Order: sequence, then structure tokens, then C-alpha cells
Amino acid sequence: MNPSPSMVPARQYRATVLSNRPVSTGLIHLVLECDAPFGFLPGQFAMLNFTGAQRRTFGRPLSILAGEGLRAEFLYRVVGSGTADLSRLVPEDEMTLLGPLGTPFPDRPEDRDAVLLAGGVGLPPVLAWWDRHGRETDRAYFGGRDAGDLPRELLPAAWKMSIDRRQDGDDERLFEGRVPELARTDLAATGRGKSFVLSCGPLLLLQAARRLATEHDWPCFVSMEEHMGCGYGACKGCVVPLQPQPDSPDPWRNATCCQDGPVFDADDIVWNRIL
Amino acid sequence: MAGNAERNPVKLPPWWTLDPVAEFRIGPRAFPGRIWTASGCFAYGLSGHDIASSEFDSPYTGLGAVVTKTVTPAPRSGNPMPRLCELPHGALNSIGLENVGYERFLQETLPELERRGVPTVVSLAATRPDEFGEMCEALQSTAAGYEHWHGVEINLSCPNVAEGGHDFGRNPETVARCVAVSREALPDRALLAKLTPNVTDVAELAAAAAEAGADAISVINTVIGLEVDLESGLPVLPRRYGGYSGPGILPIGLAKTDEIVQKTGLPVVGVGGIRTYQDALKYFALGAVAVQVGTAQMEDPFAAARVARDLTRA
Repeated sequence: MNPSPSMVPARQYRATVLSNRPVSTGLIHLVLECDAPFGFLPGQFAMLNFTGAQRRTFGRPLSILAGEGLRAEFLYRVVGSGTADLSRLVPEDEMTLLGPLGTPFPDRPEDRDAVLLAGGVGLPPVLAWWDRHGRETDRAYFGGRDAGDLPRELLPAAWKMSIDRRQDGDDERLFEGRVPELARTDLAATGRGKSFVLSCGPLLLLQAARRLATEHDWPCFVSMEEHMGCGYGACKGCVVPLQPQPDSPDPWRNATCCQDGPVFDADDIVWNRIL
Repeated sequence: MAGNAERNPVKLPPWWTLDPVAEFRIGPRAFPGRIWTASGCFAYGLSGHDIASSEFDSPYTGLGAVVTKTVTPAPRSGNPMPRLCELPHGALNSIGLENVGYERFLQETLPELERRGVPTVVSLAATRPDEFGEMCEALQSTAAGYEHWHGVEINLSCPNVAEGGHDFGRNPETVARCVAVSREALPDRALLAKLTPNVTDVAELAAAAAEAGADAISVINTVIGLEVDLESGLPVLPRRYGGYSGPGILPIGLAKTDEIVQKTGLPVVGVGGIRTYQDALKYFALGAVAVQVGTAQMEDPFAAARVARDLTRA
């Protein structure tokens, strides 16, 4: 059983950019100051939009990296024109923020250690969970494309890192390969008792996280990414196929990624409908 | 958007004399206001009800009605992902009428809307005209005593559903049949027919709906559109076509509203591209009796509340 955290109410904020700067070759750290106190639970996200002529039809869903007082922090990668516009924001620019939204990661079951697997821009919810709940016996892993892709200033010293390919001069402590291989190697070396797995990143990583959990009979929760419209359950534009109810003739049932998710129990997802 | 009003003070034209949050009638029913949310853009009216704002008590503030997501005779799981494609002036959607089915809607959702006091118009779609009548009968027998259920909007136009929408909405006789069976079952609630813009003569369809007993016409539903992914050379949406909505369709909604008002004089609820009070005023200028805010409500849960507030004279 995983305890459910108590929810923080969502709110529409006006926000001002405090900083917006790269923390690796691919990842940009956005810090906003909201017009009212901002709270969140690890795994939740917010919809960010521009103001004035730059305003988009829909906000951009970004996982929350941190938030305290009036500050809300995010991490993103430029993947399209919306995130390209985000990358051009400068301090004092104004935005709107709707959040926190979605279902967070569960709190820690007291008798289990966490195994955290994050890939690339999937770092924020996992790191946010670690910041709030992490303890010495947990294991955390982050994977980037290359050494330059690692947001070193944000990653805690206890985290182990992998990169797809090592180049001359790279830190020799970096594992060459994908995060799940790093986790397997490390867990085999250190041994593991009762644990549970939390993961966010590319779909292949989430599936690998699930396999790892299944092999040990550990629970596994993954944070999914989908195209979103509203972010608050209004449009049904972002659905994730879940296992049907026991008495249903349907092969799956839809859940909204924005409201029922983005965090799901990995065993609930009908993976072959996504991949 | 939050804060817009502060930067650009609201300027209402002298001809604007309506109170958007005062009661007004459509057919047999008094609605609490003229600014509504459009079907499909605010779920069943319950998602986001608890989102807070420094400007409004709730997303329902000042609303004359929430038009629910369309409900069908059987539950529908909707279309494959991706279902949305954002465009510079709006979005294409291909949700596929995903909904819980009217039985569950009647058991669980409508009572909750009533309990919360949300003024509600239920949007219905079907695959046979008779099914509209059956659903309206069930509605009437479940909710006859409800205070906040004001009416039904029959969706004759959703362009996403291969077996439904198109044919109903394009043929005046079919429109009339769907309206007539619904009217029969709804003695004391407003009946609206929502028409598609994807036709040659929308006024002819409006006249057919009114003749069969519709109290008002909602126009427009989404405009059929397509977006191509240049990298793959393929349509972005798996079903190729989607419904185009958002600011880009405002002129189309205005033209269809005008066509119906000019040719038939029927009460029109204007829908399409409304994001600000100025957009809404354009519909009212053409004679619309109420308006619905759709795509903007998805980005801003207070969009309709904002329009209602801005159109209210101090």
C-alpha cells in the first residue's frame, strides 16, 4: 500500500520570470515568481502560457521541479516552437501559470526504499520527490545523452549518472549506457531489500523501470508524458490506456494523463496500446 | 488571461445594454445568464470546479450555463492519440466524443451538477434520430425536478464521428426528425440545435430545426480541418481530419450567426472563437441572444467567467 499525499489546491497565477537559463546542453531551468504562495506535490505539473501577442492556444505542461513561497521552478528542453519561445523568456517577463495539476507520485511506504530512475527532461518530478522524501538508503539514477547533457548543479551528489556515449575527457565515474543498465548494475552490486520504483523519462525507460520492478516484485509508478490541451481534465485530449475494469468487455479504458495522471501505477497501463 | 483587464481597461460600446448575468428566456426556460461554456471544452462542468483565482470565486462565476461534453446512448472510448493539434490561431481536435454514456451521466454526473447548483445544458449526440428522443425521455424522467438543468443541446454537427454528426447535420429532414423527437420528450426545458458550419445553407437547417420545435440554434460547431506534419508528409491526426476551433473560426461563427439571424430571425446562441468580451460583443451585435466560450475555456478555466464579468457594466 502506498500512502496518498494530501493534495494542494490548483490556482491560476500570474507569474514573473526570475531566471531562465541552461543548466546543461539540453536542459533549461526556469524560475518564476508567482503572485500568491505556490505549493505542489512531486509528480505534479503546471500549464504555463505567455501573455499578450505571444499567448498560445494552450499552455505548455511542464513538470514542477521545485516550489516554495512564491517560487515555482521548472526544467524543460526545446522540442518545438512553444518551448523555443519559452527559452527566449528573460527576467521580468510575465506568464500565466495554472497549477499544481495532476496526480502526484505516492508518498513513501515506510517499509520500502525508493529506486528512482529519471531520464533527460523527466528529471523534475523524480528529483522533486527525492528532495522531499529521499533518504540515504534510496538509490537514484539519472541518464543523459552525453556528459554535457547532465544538469550537474541540480543533481544531488548521491545520484548516479549514465550517459549514452562517453567521450575523451569525460568523468570516468559516469556509467556508459542507459539508466536501467546503470540501475541494474548498481543494485546488483549493493543489494536491495524491499523497494519501490519511481520513474519519469522516455517511454522505453518507463518500461524498463517497470520490468526491473516486476522482477523484484516491487511496486512501480511512472510519470507519463502526453500531448495536452487543457491540463485540467476538461478536453479529454490526453488519454492513457489503462487496464479495463474486471467486468468490462473493453480491452482498455481511457484515463486522462492530466487529471488521472500523469503518475500511474505501471501495472495499470496497457503498454502495447502506446508503443 | 489573468491580468489582462488591468492592462487594457474594458471599454463597452454605447449600444451594449444587456446585463449578461441577468435572467433571460429561451423557449420555456429562464437562464441565469448569457455567457455559457461550449460543449466539449469544460468536460461535464465538474473538472476544474475547484481551481482558485484571485479574480473569481469559481470558474462558474457569472455563467448562464455550462453545456456539457456531448453524451451518447452508449459509452464511447473516443479516438486514438494524438487527439489535438495546436495551431497558431486555434487547434484541431479529434477527441471522438469520448464520454461515459448517458445512463452513467444521468446517475452520477447530472445529480452532482444539480447539487453544486451549476446551470446546465446537456449536450446529446446519437447515431439514430430516435435515440435523441429516448435520451431526452430518460433525462426528463430522471431530472424533471431539477432546478439547475435548463435544457438540451442536440449535437447535430460533431465532425469527428464517422457514423454520426455529418449526415444528421447536413440534411434538413434529419435535423427536423432529431429535434421533433427531442421536443416531444422535453415539455419544459429549452431545446437547442447545434449546427455545423460545414454546410452550404445553414439558415435552411436552422429553419428546419425551429419548425420541428427547437427554441434556439447554437452555431457553430468546429470547422473541418487538417494539418500536415512536414517531416512525415502525413496528416497529424490519425483520422486525418479534425474539428478546427479557437480564434481562427470567429469570423466563420459570426457569418453563420448573421446568416441565420438575417434569414430566419431565430434566437441564436453564438459559438466559435470567443476568447474576450470583444469577441462576444460581435456576436451580440449581430443579434445573438447568448454566447458560448469554448477553446479559450480549455486554456483558462475562468475564460467564460471573465467574459461575463467584462460585459457587466459597473
